[in-house]
Amino acid sequence: MILATSIVIALVFGSGAYLILQRDLFRVVIGIVLISNAANLFIIAAGLSSGVPPIKPIPNGATVSDPLVQAMALTAIVISFSVAVLLLSLVYRLYNSHRTIDLKDISEMELREAEALERDKPEEEKKRETEPT
Amino acid sequence: MTMLVVPILLPWMLAAVFALLDGRKSWIGWLSVVGLAVSFASVVALTFAVVQDGPVELVAGGWPEGVGISLRADALGVTFAALSMGVVLVSLAYEVIRGVRSRTFPALVLFLATGLSGLFLTGDIFNFYVFFEISMTAAYALTSYRERDYQIRAAFIFAIINLLGSVVFLISVAALYHVTGSLDMQIVAERIEDVAPNSIITIAVAVFVAFSLKLGLFSFHFWLPAVYMGSHAPVAAILSGALANIGSYGLLRFGAGILPKELALGVIPIFILGAASIIYGAVQAISRHATVEVLAYSAIGQAGYILIALAIGGTVGYGAAVVYAVVNSLNKALLFLAAGTRGPLVGAAFAIGAFSVVGVPPAAGFLGKLALFKASLTMESLPASIALVALIFIGGALSFLYVFELYGRVFLKPNETDKKNSPLAARVLVLAVGVLVLAVGVWPEPLLVLANTAGDLLSNGGI
Repeated sequence: MILATSIVIALVFGSGAYLILQRDLFRVVIGIVLISNAANLFIIAAGLSSGVPPIKPIPNGATVSDPLVQAMALTAIVISFSVAVLLLSLVYRLYNSHRTIDLKDISEMELREAEALERDKPEEEKKRETEPT
Repeated sequence: MTMLVVPILLPWMLAAVFALLDGRKSWIGWLSVVGLAVSFASVVALTFAVVQDGPVELVAGGWPEGVGISLRADALGVTFAALSMGVVLVSLAYEVIRGVRSRTFPALVLFLATGLSGLFLTGDIFNFYVFFEISMTAAYALTSYRERDYQIRAAFIFAIINLLGSVVFLISVAALYHVTGSLDMQIVAERIEDVAPNSIITIAVAVFVAFSLKLGLFSFHFWLPAVYMGSHAPVAAILSGALANIGSYGLLRFGAGILPKELALGVIPIFILGAASIIYGAVQAISRHATVEVLAYSAIGQAGYILIALAIGGTVGYGAAVVYAVVNSLNKALLFLAAGTRGPLVGAAFAIGAFSVVGVPPAAGFLGKLALFKASLTMESLPASIALVALIFIGGALSFLYVFELYGRVFLKPNETDKKNSPLAARVLVLAVGVLVLAVGVWPEPLLVLANTAGDLLSNGGI
């Protein structure tokens, strides 16, 4: 059982890591979601015990399965879910202004924009650009 | 008791309400400033209580001890909480004076403050993770403040990299729970003595990686310049002056407090990483031209000093790490705010920050460097002491080069006349931070007492 769980966690984490290294931003987000879920699986695996549900009344002498890991996993799931929403909104915002979610295209576009701005700008403006606004 | 609850609950409730309102209205901005000021005052009062009577503890929800989540304020926690709240308060006030340009800004800053005070004042490792995520998530959103394209991209990079760090940390929290059967920091620290070394070392490495990523140490730093480059001055001040404290606090709390043996095992690699961080950060900072980029690389270098102090260890070493972390946060907040402001008074404030980074008395930076020198002299082997003193000296000399080069570029420029000055109140605020940095240097006793108490606690097996 331990081996099976470890292999599953490793697989999920590995797929997530592979996706994060992609240029497509949507895949990067999915990668992060997978990795967070690998962590959630890990939490559950950290306290995996069989027993009756930890709800009172508990029958005499029965072993209770660990409720703490479930609570932790639930919290972690909610957090990773909300962060995924935030990431997707960032991706959507980038898609809106660039019409693409490929990181390579976006950087090229930004480079071109920056060059265009540099050309049109008077000297004084250029200096200001290097300082925080 | 209330002192412990107010800094967490007050900003939280205000944030929840203001998230629904339009934060561009100035009354909301000022109300958030007042709310944060009250929380800050509460943390300061808590600091006095902790210094006088020792740690303050509270189990949330009225549960018996060992069942409920415990909030615990000790010298280390309150120092970082007061520092971070102060930096966040100043940055928020600065932005409110200059005019908030996004409806969510005050609420996000309040959420960030909630997370920060929560994680510094908790005694439970999973609770630490939750508050940590609250502040990080607010920070991801804050980085994209003003919604320029490059800011959105910076926010995306920031979020992805730091989420990886958070996941690594979450996994180590679960692993700590698995090997000790508890989430309470004190119980974990006690039970960890009996755990098989190989599993603990793996956990210790994971914790180290997670916090180094937050702190932006060398070899984990790659995301930092891009993010600071994209962010607005007060946001950069918050990121560098308040959020980066999570890294130094985490390394002290988890490294020195919970995993001291494993920390001792890893001293050599930590020294190497710290030294590399100092040199790399300084050299890169010298070679850069954009103000924010120089400061970002400087932050990487300064993180190295904290790591060195951590590796030296003992009361003196941990105390030095606390002093350096505090001084460095103040410096960074001051420099980022000053670099984003224009007009008279600001140059003076920036100069104070620059002197402080270099470590010239009476600026606070001198205190940090002095504490480090003292700590390096406590090393047992003489060559190691000499090497460390030399390293700190070289780092200081290099930082002299880059901050004053920067000062020359930003403030000693001819024909400044056509630029619009920032509002007087903003400039006075920046100068006030500068005066505070001087004041800490002139009257260092309060900070030294706090750092000493924290160092003492950590080196004597407390957490």
